[in-house]
Amino acid sequence: MNSKSVHPVDSVEKLEAMLECVRSAQREFATFTQEQVDAIFKAAAIAANKERIPLSRLAVEETGMGVVEDKVIKNHYASEYIYNAYKNEKTCGVIRDDKAFGMKKIAEPLGVIAAVIPTTNPTSTAIFKTLLALKTRNGIIISPHPRAKQSTIAAAKIVLDAAVAAGAPKDIIGWIDAPSLDMTNLIMKEADIILATGGPGMVRAAYSSGKPAIGVGPGNTPAIIDESADILLAVNSIIHSKTFDNGMICASEQSTIVSDKIYGEVKAEFIKRGCYILSPEEKEKVGNTIITNGALNAKIVGQSAFRIAEIAGFKVPETTKILIGEVDSVELSEPFAHEKLSPVLAMYKSKSFEEALDKAEHLIADGGYGHTSSIYINPLTESEKLAKFEERMKTCRILVNTPSSHGGIGDLYNFKLAPSLTLGCGSWGGNSVSENVGIKHLLNIKTVAERRENMLWFRTPSKVYIKKGCLPVALDELGNVLNKKKVFIVTDTFLFENGYTKPVTDKLDELGITHATFSNVSPDPTLACAREGAKLMSAFKPDCIIAVGGGSAMDAAKIMWVLYEHPEADFMDMAMRFVDIRKRVYTFPKMGEKAYFIAVPTSAGTGSEVTPFAVITDEQTGIKYPLADYELLPNMAIVDADMMMNAPKGLTSASGIDAVSHALEAIASMMATDYTDSLAERSLKMIFEYLPRAYDNGPNDPEAREKMANAATMAGMAFANAFLGICHSMAHKLGAFHHLPHGVANALMLEEVIRFNSSEAPCKMGTFPQYDHPHTLARYAATAEYLGFKGKSDAESVENLIKAVNNLKAKVGIKSAIRDYGVDEKDFLDRLDEMTEQAFDDQCTGANPRYPLMSEIKEMYLNAYYGRDARKSAE
Amino acid sequence: MFEKVLAQRAHKTIYKDGDSVIKVFDECYSKANVLNEALNQARIEETGLNIPKIREVSKIDGKWAITLDYIEGVTLASLMEQNPDKTEEYLERFVSIQCEILSKKCRYLNKLRDKMTSKIEMTDLDATAKYDLNTRLAAMPRRNKVCHGDFNPSNIIITPDDRAYILDWSHATQGNASADAARTYLLFRLANAGYADRYLEIFCAKHNISLKYVQNWLPIVAASQSVKGNAHEREFLQRWIDVVDYD
Repeated sequence: MNSKSVHPVDSVEKLEAMLECVRSAQREFATFTQEQVDAIFKAAAIAANKERIPLSRLAVEETGMGVVEDKVIKNHYASEYIYNAYKNEKTCGVIRDDKAFGMKKIAEPLGVIAAVIPTTNPTSTAIFKTLLALKTRNGIIISPHPRAKQSTIAAAKIVLDAAVAAGAPKDIIGWIDAPSLDMTNLIMKEADIILATGGPGMVRAAYSSGKPAIGVGPGNTPAIIDESADILLAVNSIIHSKTFDNGMICASEQSTIVSDKIYGEVKAEFIKRGCYILSPEEKEKVGNTIITNGALNAKIVGQSAFRIAEIAGFKVPETTKILIGEVDSVELSEPFAHEKLSPVLAMYKSKSFEEALDKAEHLIADGGYGHTSSIYINPLTESEKLAKFEERMKTCRILVNTPSSHGGIGDLYNFKLAPSLTLGCGSWGGNSVSENVGIKHLLNIKTVAERRENMLWFRTPSKVYIKKGCLPVALDELGNVLNKKKVFIVTDTFLFENGYTKPVTDKLDELGITHATFSNVSPDPTLACAREGAKLMSAFKPDCIIAVGGGSAMDAAKIMWVLYEHPEADFMDMAMRFVDIRKRVYTFPKMGEKAYFIAVPTSAGTGSEVTPFAVITDEQTGIKYPLADYELLPNMAIVDADMMMNAPKGLTSASGIDAVSHALEAIASMMATDYTDSLAERSLKMIFEYLPRAYDNGPNDPEAREKMANAATMAGMAFANAFLGICHSMAHKLGAFHHLPHGVANALMLEEVIRFNSSEAPCKMGTFPQYDHPHTLARYAATAEYLGFKGKSDAESVENLIKAVNNLKAKVGIKSAIRDYGVDEKDFLDRLDEMTEQAFDDQCTGANPRYPLMSEIKEMYLNAYYGRDARKSAE
Repeated sequence: MFEKVLAQRAHKTIYKDGDSVIKVFDECYSKANVLNEALNQARIEETGLNIPKIREVSKIDGKWAITLDYIEGVTLASLMEQNPDKTEEYLERFVSIQCEILSKKCRYLNKLRDKMTSKIEMTDLDATAKYDLNTRLAAMPRRNKVCHGDFNPSNIIITPDDRAYILDWSHATQGNASADAARTYLLFRLANAGYADRYLEIFCAKHNISLKYVQNWLPIVAASQSVKGNAHEREFLQRWIDVVDYD
């Protein structure tokens, strides 16, 4: 069957047959190339353009509405402007291809469009919609209004014939010959999308059909004429627009609100240009004529001013352009406040700009919500007023110094407003679209997204000074290069009393730099302590801060630094958990504007001198705030083993084993890179070799101390960039709940975590594009091999690694189970669930290669508590 | 045969007999319409509204007849005529009764929408006008309130103890309240009642709806009224029908 044998479509059955024809044509059309489509689009546009005059005549003859010459412009516009706007647009297949990001956009047609065509603009709307359909490879079925069916169909036929001659499938455009509501409803139900231009009844029917619909809303455009307006331009633009096709464009001005300061002049200009100001009696007659029971009288739509006066029962000159009613009320009880679709205009006088806005707002809310508003104003001198207008008008088009009929449809008086004869009114007008409807609304865009990996980085303090005895040399720079004047030293009481800051202060004295020392940092430093230090800092106003100590002193100093530079910053915000440090919600304040930050570690383990992390405890709530941001990275790290020579055994072992956990977690992390791997593995190798020596020989083994100092800082650099994992998640909470030193807490969880991460079939793996399959077993095995613990298989290598870690722990006096540290069993079990949940939610969990279930964390805690082997407890 | 004739209408005669009212329909009257009227009335009885109860549907001398309770009293229409100074008060009461009816649900009643669709089809309007009216009707919100369909003061009887009874349920449907108000407004306007607009104001206020909703129904009720073919109403109704929504 083809469409020729189906016509005339005058029944639901025939319409179904027509629909099948169009569907089948569209299936073929969907395979056409851009070149084929563009040739068809062009041929159809040219054909419609050529027939613009006959089509206009036909429309006016059939509907008895409008002006032939103006309809010629509409037809011309619908063909030429639509063609011009979209001739170079890609609508077929791949329309965008971003190889770097692996993102492709592919355009596909929607299928068959049901197009409801209005009586006011029958031929131009038919041309417009059929051209859009052709450009987007859609089929289209036109549902004309019975009052305009011949002209609507004639336009559709011209486009179809030209399209087919240019190679389009022969039934790509169909129509209903004898429209009825049943048929309109049927195509709305059967089509893939509805383009409904028509009364609110039709639009409502479209939206309730269950199919996607693009509808329009009613307009009631007010045009404010501000006292700053160019009166000549304003009045003549309104006349030009309002008389266009006898006022039948829905964006056309329905009222003008004129400032009282220029009202007289505006009125005179209207009169001078042929408009007729109605007398009170005539105004009443016209009011009663145009509106019946609150609705527009069908007989006056698209009629001339002369004809409307005649219907109302009085005479005006035949050349009269617009009938103007001077009215006050913007209520619906005032006939002139309605949409009139004819050259009848309401004119209001406003005492202030505010009043003009109120009136315009009211008119829009009652009759043109979401459609169009217009203003005549001097935009250069009155930008504030204009901004207020833009803000107050709930319309999707806000036109400035522009005739609204021509302006609203786009591309005539502004070249960035899309040309269209279907003007979306947004949710205000009950529409799904708030712009001028175009091809983009008639395409399905497929996005092809290829897997891409995240960019990673390697960040470290700009200066890291290393070598036993380097401290005074490095500090020299403060005076000679950096020109610092005031240094604030942060340390703990023990270090201060034992003279650890003396080499620093001696050097500063030598350089003539003023300094002050805060020596009150406690282990697990509190917010109160940091505030106290920051207060002193604020009074002292240092341009450099030197942290001397272990993790506590360095973390406390970092927090003081933050409080000193940004007293307004909120810790809750800064501590907000994030998935990706580059996508975090909170923007960390810029650091270093007041003071340069130097970290001098006195123990080998924490790595804080090169990390962007700091942990602080709110002593009132007990909450630990783990802060992480590269703004917290020290500017300079001075790694001098002289500062570590006399560290006690307990500190040496706990911080040394902390460095082991840093290195192992950085290796397992999903964000590990070649850069962090090399640092972490080398660091581990050094720790295995030198930690026992440093532990056993203390100050007598400067080589071991120096190697450990470097190993700790290297591990710090590794995890500063690769981040940590659940060993630290669990250690953080274990330490907080049961008061175990941080390094020890990590050591107690290490074995569990290595085994947990080594699973080749984890319950859930971590989410990160680089982490393509569970491969942590192999990663640990490679590390084991590098360290010299290679087994016969990866599994055996990892077991060897665990053994080596356990041996190392034993050598430096770390016990094998949590309970060995005197943690009460009942207390441990009572709070285990809470500790588990908090560990799960720790910031470090995110980088772990295996995403833990809470039950799994709990199990690891239990194993570590009793010192039982996970392999046995699993059996 | 009966005590007295209460009213003589086109195609039916209404008698009083003791405490009964007997509506006797002409032979030409459709059996379905008679039974529908009786059924409507029976259904409305179940809503608890104050209405005369059906006693019997029968054939009297070969003509269908419905026998109902006789309600002693005066119609609201007569009261309004006798006491023009109390128009406002009566209108208030009139609207209250209408709102009470509209507050009821009656799921098996015919649908107002179906009735209007068939009325539009029955008009002698051209295809374009019918298309516009059907489109307008299709866009109306779907409701299921009991609508009297011919609600006017002559269908309300006020008893000596001041109770109001609502008569004549032959046009009852379920649907949109605004349509029922539009219908009443049209009846008032056709009767040149000076209080038509006041009625609408009171209705909109009491029912808490905007005037626009009722006005939207006017072309449809006007079209349905035109089916009755009263020549003198023709021009008036045509003007009400000849309106457009914007395009």
